[in-house]
Amino acid sequence: MTEATGTPFVLNTDKGLETSLRGFLRQLLESGNIGALILPLKVPSGDSFAWIMLNDAGMIDDAVPFPATMPVQGAKALRSLTRKERGELTVMALMRPCEIRAGIELSKLGQVNTENLILATYDCAGAVPLQSYVSDPAAAEKNFKEFFITGEPDQNAKPICASCTDFSMVDSDIHFGYFGVREKGMLVIPGTVRGTDLLKKMDLQTASGSELLPVWKAEVEKLTEKRSSVRKIVFKKTEKDISGFTGMLNVFENCIGCHNCQSVCPVCYCRLCYFGSEASRTNPEAMVNEAVKRGGISLPPDRIMFHTGRLAHMSLSCVSCGQCTDACPVSIPVADVFSFVAEQTQHTFEYKAGRNDGKPLPLRDFKKSELPGVHKLVKDAEPGGTSHE
Amino acid sequence: MKNKKNTVLVLGAGIAGIQASLDLAEMGVEVHLIEGTPTIGGRMPQLDKTFPTNDCSMCILSPKMSECARHPLITIHIKSTLEEISGEPGAFTCRVIEQAKYVDPVKCVSCGLCEAKCPVKIDDEFDVGLRKTKAISRYFLQSIPSEYTINPSHCLYLTKGVCKLCEKVCPTGAINYDDKDREIEISAGAVILATGIDPFNPLGFGQYGYHRYPNVVTSLEFERMLSASGPLGGHVVRASDDKPPKKIAFLQCIGSRDEGIDRNYCSSACCMFAIKQSIIAKEHSKDLDASIFYMDIRAFGKDFDKYYDKAENHYGVKFKRSKIADIVELPDGSLDLKYTFENGDIQHEVFDLVVLSIGLQPRTGSRKLADKLDIRLNKFGFCHSDTFTPQETTRQGVFVCGAMNNPKDIPESVVSASGAVAGAVKFLNLGRHDISTGEEEIIEKDVSGERPRVGVFVCHCGINIAGVVDVKNVAEMAKDLKNVEHSEDVMYACSTDCLELIKERIEEHGLNRVVVAACTPRTHEPLFRDTISGAGLNPYLFEMANIRDQCSWAHMNEPELATEKSKDLVEMAVGKARNLTPLKRLPIAIDPEALVVGGGLAGMTCALAIADAGHQVFMVEKESSLGGNMKDIFFNLDGSDPQQFLAETIRKVEDHPEIRVFLNSTIEDIAGYVGNFRTMFTNGSGQQEELTHGVVVVATGGSEHKTTEYLYDESSRVITQKEFERMLQEEKFPPGKLREVVFVQCVGSREEGRMYCSRVCCSKAVKNARQLQSKKSRANIYFAYRDIRTYGFSEQYYSELRNSGALFFRYTPDNKPEVEKVHPDDPESRVRVTLFDPVLEKDVVIEADLVVLATAIDPPEENLKLAKMLKIPLNSDGLFLEAHVKLRPVDFATDGIFVCGLAHSPKDMSESIAQAKAAGSRALTFLKKNSILAEGTIAEVRTDRCSGCGYCEDVCAYAAIEIDPEEGVAVINDALCKGCGACVASCRCGALDLRGFTNEQLFSVFDALEIDAVEGIV
Repeated sequence: MTEATGTPFVLNTDKGLETSLRGFLRQLLESGNIGALILPLKVPSGDSFAWIMLNDAGMIDDAVPFPATMPVQGAKALRSLTRKERGELTVMALMRPCEIRAGIELSKLGQVNTENLILATYDCAGAVPLQSYVSDPAAAEKNFKEFFITGEPDQNAKPICASCTDFSMVDSDIHFGYFGVREKGMLVIPGTVRGTDLLKKMDLQTASGSELLPVWKAEVEKLTEKRSSVRKIVFKKTEKDISGFTGMLNVFENCIGCHNCQSVCPVCYCRLCYFGSEASRTNPEAMVNEAVKRGGISLPPDRIMFHTGRLAHMSLSCVSCGQCTDACPVSIPVADVFSFVAEQTQHTFEYKAGRNDGKPLPLRDFKKSELPGVHKLVKDAEPGGTSHE
Repeated sequence: MKNKKNTVLVLGAGIAGIQASLDLAEMGVEVHLIEGTPTIGGRMPQLDKTFPTNDCSMCILSPKMSECARHPLITIHIKSTLEEISGEPGAFTCRVIEQAKYVDPVKCVSCGLCEAKCPVKIDDEFDVGLRKTKAISRYFLQSIPSEYTINPSHCLYLTKGVCKLCEKVCPTGAINYDDKDREIEISAGAVILATGIDPFNPLGFGQYGYHRYPNVVTSLEFERMLSASGPLGGHVVRASDDKPPKKIAFLQCIGSRDEGIDRNYCSSACCMFAIKQSIIAKEHSKDLDASIFYMDIRAFGKDFDKYYDKAENHYGVKFKRSKIADIVELPDGSLDLKYTFENGDIQHEVFDLVVLSIGLQPRTGSRKLADKLDIRLNKFGFCHSDTFTPQETTRQGVFVCGAMNNPKDIPESVVSASGAVAGAVKFLNLGRHDISTGEEEIIEKDVSGERPRVGVFVCHCGINIAGVVDVKNVAEMAKDLKNVEHSEDVMYACSTDCLELIKERIEEHGLNRVVVAACTPRTHEPLFRDTISGAGLNPYLFEMANIRDQCSWAHMNEPELATEKSKDLVEMAVGKARNLTPLKRLPIAIDPEALVVGGGLAGMTCALAIADAGHQVFMVEKESSLGGNMKDIFFNLDGSDPQQFLAETIRKVEDHPEIRVFLNSTIEDIAGYVGNFRTMFTNGSGQQEELTHGVVVVATGGSEHKTTEYLYDESSRVITQKEFERMLQEEKFPPGKLREVVFVQCVGSREEGRMYCSRVCCSKAVKNARQLQSKKSRANIYFAYRDIRTYGFSEQYYSELRNSGALFFRYTPDNKPEVEKVHPDDPESRVRVTLFDPVLEKDVVIEADLVVLATAIDPPEENLKLAKMLKIPLNSDGLFLEAHVKLRPVDFATDGIFVCGLAHSPKDMSESIAQAKAAGSRALTFLKKNSILAEGTIAEVRTDRCSGCGYCEDVCAYAAIEIDPEEGVAVINDALCKGCGACVASCRCGALDLRGFTNEQLFSVFDALEIDAVEGIV
């Protein structure tokens, strides 16, 4: 959880959280301080949501600020908007914390320009898996309502949500906090100078949130603690499951090579994935030789390589949003593996994906201290190094 | 000066001589490099590592040596001496004697058979007697030229008329016992003297027990012991019992700072040398105990203090400020050191090994050489030069560089070499030139669309490879490889006959790719590339397998495995060759103008060096007048007049037809790259102007640190050195009235926030103290110091000051001198200084009339802005970071940008001048060319794959790649790319590839070895 940069305000929640937030957004749009809003709307068939950029305040009533599921990762929407250059209008995006984190990560990778973007997040209780939602929207909505209120994702939520510890205020400009204070109101918390300025400009005539802030904070901390313990258990299991080559094989043996996990991943930003390119094709002659040498090989050959390759490329930027598991047609717990490996690799570089803390992306600068293992290899390779003794 | 010769004679082929030769040759000057020993390289090859980066000395030097040997304009004369010089500057005639080598260098293929058979063992000079060599030998393994020579005073045939074994075994008939000394005459426009130094010989100074006790060695001997390629293979053991030492003592100032033996100068490098050796020794063996016994640690260079700090606090090297009283050998060969600390305490300690940190002295024979050249030496035997003309000797047209000038380390030798070149070119008549190899252009065959037809040549190298590897078998195997049209074994691939043979085979078999399995591409690849180029193939259609270093040498006791490995390497090389494509080196035009940023002493000196060579210089200075920091310097230790010199220099700059000075001007933006820069700046009248130029010299200077310590802000009696110097000049504060003056050193330097030594303050304080004394002042002078760092010849002025009665008190950062006002309310009040005296172990209180603070030198703030514009790095102290601290001290990794003066690091006037001339000279190596060639092996972008994330931009050390903001994809600047491949490795999208090392080519190497590159195959 990041710290507030100014005094928070309180929105009246007598008519429910959604209504209260819609009211705020309408006011914001009408004030002219922002040009457009990016929000989820329910699709006409009613079984999913889509991102809409709107500047007609009238459309806000159709928006669903707290959608039950996460069809397209919000960062992908941001990327499509600003990949090349920023637009003229200031646009505010209201998204889940993991979506905003992915957006920030992409901004460091030159894929999103946040200059004219106001990033807004809310306390996220988790999301329902897309499959459950599509097959029975009504039941899914009901299930979602249950954990939306408690803030504790249950068996009906996406599995990754229960072990998510970055579910509240991240490095967003404005955060809407309701955990633990829902009955009394919803906090509007500025998280950056830009957020503070925007709220000042709006000149909200509502009560100060100074009193509610500590209550909300305590609740978020309590929930974080709970989710941390779940996280530990999940990581332990994942570590056991994927250890060694056999472990990896067992986890990924059902992979059908559809590459869905890669195409829904918000931080997988390459225009053309190496594993989808001609360069990754194996030489038939070499494969036959391998088969002869080993007695047999499985085809197509890049199933494990695809996942380890993606881990090598992307785990440093993984925000653990869980889209990969959601998109997997054969129920491989891809997100558990990514989340676990990401924690290790990011820790190695003292880095956390999706944060706006001024730290450079790993590998952009090399500090010998980061990799004692590599340092030793380098030393050993030098004449007079340890291996020569 | 009629008949100017565009030839320069360089005497001495150490690092200074090599650098001078390369700079000259790059400007299109013909160079004759005269060297007394049988190889170029000088002292550097004897060193294991170099401070403060611990780079391997040979690894960084050998590319320069090879470059020197390959350059068409450089002629190397080994075993040669200058006999006589006549004529006038611009047209000297030099008589040089080339001693007989007794081996024909054209025929010799350096196979080593002769050395193996030679029965005469003699002490190896290179390994300072720690190893034996033969009467026919190569000076050291990587000698250049690599051919063997006979030592006539030990050869049995030449001395006694018997033996001739070498002639019998020589496979190419290269031995020639009738070889005679040859006299050659060289016409040269200028001469550069770079004969370097000899280490001090402690024999005859019995107190150290050198040669009497086997476990007392010199630092040079210890360096060879530490070296992995040295006589002990890097396993340091004691001579007495072959046991590794557990406790080593380094004794400093052996043959330096010693009035008793006429060496009242500091050798400048030995403190760092000892620190380096103690670190390396500790890296070899963690539990080693290393102690350095010293008077002052003189870590005055760039990043030296950090290295010193690392040695003490990270490696645990013990530093003992003491004097050695006695060394006694114990029965087991260990040495009992008796030493006294500064407070008089006497201590005994037993060490396994004692290393004498010997000083530097002019090379034997330099006095004779000086007589021949008719130049003056100083009283210590080093070449005399004036403060303002550090590379000029007393004879016009003869220049000096390297340690022959004064004791100095490697980077300063390199700087002085380039500086000497700037002097020498004034006596030449240089125009701009095109790059040409001197050979006629051969039309390249178009091999596109042809299937690969690979030719393989496997070299015996006499017994060098064939003695271990079954060469015939390897060549036979290669015949069956896919796409191999021809394969054969050859005796010496690099011999002239064989090079012709390769050309013939290309013709005969229609080869379009060539693989040579022999020695290292580092030395031989250019030769083979030239060869296939001569047969009409693109030079990049060549691949080399190093079966000597990696097979016959590395596995000399396992011949069968060595042969198997050779086959693998050849197979891999063929795999790569199959996928090789022709590459082009594109020319980049060079704009002949230069931009110099900063109009201080360094900027002006550099501008004059460039302008005198006929190039237009734009000088941009932010202040309203030229001169920079030098405006505040009024005296020099040697009595010369800085203000007069400054006035002359400013006049020269202002009157120079090729120099345009822009005062009160600030640079707004610099775009472009080597040869093609475009600079926007705001001129004195506030208008924007644009300049186009080929190179940039950064000479932004430095400034005096503003301190708040020692009541500087509160008392008029506490002033800085700069203010004191002006006061002495203006005699404002009547020197006669001063009774007590305290000098406080290291104010702001060598402490948190500024972990560097400001280098000049010790000498400056000594200078001003001497100046005060010369003004008939009877003042008592007190110094509060941490280490007195009057390196080089400044040492003599320091001893003069000490002898004159000045008192020196050493302080530590946690016990700094305290300054308070005697009458707190009176702004004019005298100040009370309390100093802790470590000798008396008591506080000393002085009521001072004046306290003079030696404040640090700070880099200017605008450095950051300039660094961003030029994409050049700053170090953690805010000083510009050069391309290589040892061998490229005034260059940046980005081509066409140079640095000099305080912008690089604190330095004195003479050093700034030397460096400014060096920067000018380096700039001229570009400006003298109409165009340069870009590398062939450079990165390329597949824009359809690039996501524009910018990783590549961040990892590129040469600022050669950037994201096009319009297209959102990476763009490579072919002129700047060095082909290191860092961007390729950083690219997650696989959008980058390195020409000549593409994924496809590398995977074909793995495939050949059947490496499971794609581990997904299960």
